[in-house]
Amino acid sequence: MSTCEQFDVVIVGAGISGAIMAQQLGAKGKKVLILEAGTGTEDRFWNSESEHEGEKVKHPGYESYMDTFFTALAKIPNAPFPNNPNAPQPLVTDLAPIRDNQPLTDGYFVQKGPLPFSSTYTRSEGGTTLHWLGTCLRMLPEDFDINTRFGQGLDWPIDYDELQKWYEMAEKNIGVSANADEQNYHQINNSSVHIPFENQYNYPMEKIPQSYLDHHMEEGLRGMTVSFDDQDYPVDVVSTPQARNGMPRGDYRPVGAVGNPDVGQRCAGNSNCVPICPIQAKYNALKTLEQARKTGNVEIRNQCVVYDIEVDPATNNISRLLYKQYQHSGSPDHVCKTVTGKIVVLAAHAVENAKLLLASGIANSSDQVGRNLMDHPTMLTWGLMPDKIGAFRGPGSTSGIPSLRGGAFRKNRAAFRIEIGNWGWSWPEGAPINTVPDLIDQKNMFGKQLKDTIQSIYPRMFRFGFLVEQLPDSNNRVTIDPDYRDQLGNYRPVINYNVTDYTRAGMAAAKQVSDQIFQRLGVEGYTEYHPSDPGYLTYQGKGYTYNGAGHLVGTHIMGSDSKTSVVNKEQRSWDHPNLYLVGCGNMPTISTSNPTLTMAALTYWAADNVLKALDQA
Amino acid sequence: MNRLSDFYRLGAALTDYEIVQLEGTGVGEEYYDVLTSLVSGNILDELFDDYNNLDKTCSGHVPDEQIRSSILANPKLGPVARNIIKLWYLSIWYQLPENWRQKYGIPNQTKNKYQDVQFIVSRNAYIQGLVWQATGSHPMGAKQPGYGTWSAAPGNQPHPVNFQ
Repeated sequence: MSTCEQFDVVIVGAGISGAIMAQQLGAKGKKVLILEAGTGTEDRFWNSESEHEGEKVKHPGYESYMDTFFTALAKIPNAPFPNNPNAPQPLVTDLAPIRDNQPLTDGYFVQKGPLPFSSTYTRSEGGTTLHWLGTCLRMLPEDFDINTRFGQGLDWPIDYDELQKWYEMAEKNIGVSANADEQNYHQINNSSVHIPFENQYNYPMEKIPQSYLDHHMEEGLRGMTVSFDDQDYPVDVVSTPQARNGMPRGDYRPVGAVGNPDVGQRCAGNSNCVPICPIQAKYNALKTLEQARKTGNVEIRNQCVVYDIEVDPATNNISRLLYKQYQHSGSPDHVCKTVTGKIVVLAAHAVENAKLLLASGIANSSDQVGRNLMDHPTMLTWGLMPDKIGAFRGPGSTSGIPSLRGGAFRKNRAAFRIEIGNWGWSWPEGAPINTVPDLIDQKNMFGKQLKDTIQSIYPRMFRFGFLVEQLPDSNNRVTIDPDYRDQLGNYRPVINYNVTDYTRAGMAAAKQVSDQIFQRLGVEGYTEYHPSDPGYLTYQGKGYTYNGAGHLVGTHIMGSDSKTSVVNKEQRSWDHPNLYLVGCGNMPTISTSNPTLTMAALTYWAADNVLKALDQA
Repeated sequence: MNRLSDFYRLGAALTDYEIVQLEGTGVGEEYYDVLTSLVSGNILDELFDDYNNLDKTCSGHVPDEQIRSSILANPKLGPVARNIIKLWYLSIWYQLPENWRQKYGIPNQTKNKYQDVQFIVSRNAYIQGLVWQATGSHPMGAKQPGYGTWSAAPGNQPHPVNFQ
């Protein structure tokens, strides 16, 4: 034990939740170590080189991700981030329909179905915030107790009022652009979606300008309502709060790129938030990691994969973490090391946290670890507007239709939020790169006809994304299997996943709303769902296709009962007094908001709890 | 004959962009390098000569039907011409069709810098694809038009709002 390094807190994972935890603790003088499984760029924006024993050593910076992105044929969310067999990550291109109960095993996930789990994440320093869109919605007050209100899903052990001040802290520190008098939704004629904001509170930056498409949609849908269960609901376009630098309010100063802070202080319209903002005008966790480093109390160690966690049987405390440190992603060569912390925080991501707990055989007296895996099955609809709306410009989405996020219909079917996409058919069809070859090869166009076709059609393209709520289901789960391991010998996640009728009914309702909007705006519809789509399913005889939202939630849920949840409201393990779990895995339900802001708010709260625990010890 | 200038002339006819616009991308020579690595010289000679002859007989105004019948519908030249269009628009080289490769492909490419498989020509070339300006946008991830430009009506000159 004498050779084992000791810290106040050891954090597993250098994504947003690990970064927030480290920054908060480091700022209070606690000695913190972060172990990150993936590779990283540390504080470098540009690539650099150094000499070590006469040999040139390359130090890739953030810019290396841009090189990889531009030359990648499939511009999927993980395209910029290098393939690393020592810390493999799931890819959208791994997906296929699951037939005859034959699991998909070609990717990182082992998918047992019956439906494939379609979301991915990034195992690199900075985590999945490297490729997120930056949507920062708060949950609705009714989202915290849907079991009591609607007889569906689970209630949270906390309510909106308790989380409100942590939402404010997260919005300030992440840097969210929005106007509070719109985001409280008080202008929407559906009281179920109203969100109380603190008096006088406003976001640190003004809302990001809405796209030309948003304005067009807003005018076209003014006064529109849809009817569910004989009750009318408004269809209102509202700007979306975004972790994207805009015009600051008061003395707030936007945070630019790590290693190149003069760039990225405003969104410059690169239209590339996913998979990577070239200038870091969109928040990523590298910014918070940099702030953590600057406290002088936080060390971030990349290329260190934690594979086992040991418990002291006398106290049930975590006694030490075992990790494999590798030199290069190309080689499995590694050394095994150990480390201890007075407190241990798992911030490795919902799936990785569950995997690590299962591999270590800890924190699972409830048998809930890995269970209740959720996502927002995201159904797309797409078409051509009657006139040019300027597709393929601006942030991926600047507005949505949040007015159908809540209501009495949740007794019967899932709620959804509608995202208005600014990038034409890039998601549903891969336009323009994947669609132009067809014009040349099959439609036999060239010269003026080809140019005129692109000029007249492509600026009219648009798509909706319907982010449909999914309930916690103990059969949707992450497990491990000794037969499936990565090149370091660590477990690969084995996933069982399905989509229940509650969510399918939400997809069907969403398609009806889409049809009505298309009719009202005169949209030429091109939506098609095929049985060959990985996320194809049917409901009441009709076919629909869902995609992954990248919102992986609920693998170690919080609750008020140790028998049915993994952590308590302080986000501390019921089983191990010095173990905290953070991240979206703690969320008992997913509701209709992209989960990162809520997860960040929860993590600020968890950091406060860890500080109190350290100071009491 | 300067084959590079022939390459631009044919490219202009196939894409309806001016030669000066193609030259202005700065990546024409890179495309030409790819093309000459993956398609044998005598096929390219035939392609360029065919177009130059059409151009001469039509006094610089080659009707589309002539380009279709002589080049695009020609089993040897058509696939190469279509790949040239895709190079200019998308900066991607697509593998030539199987039957074309069996008949006309360069058998041993191992010594060459490029292989006849699908690839993006280069980081810079991707940014110069004509499709982005045809779409009325900019290459996603580059040539950033400025804060708030996405609010303006399409086709209008963007005015970055943060520097007004």
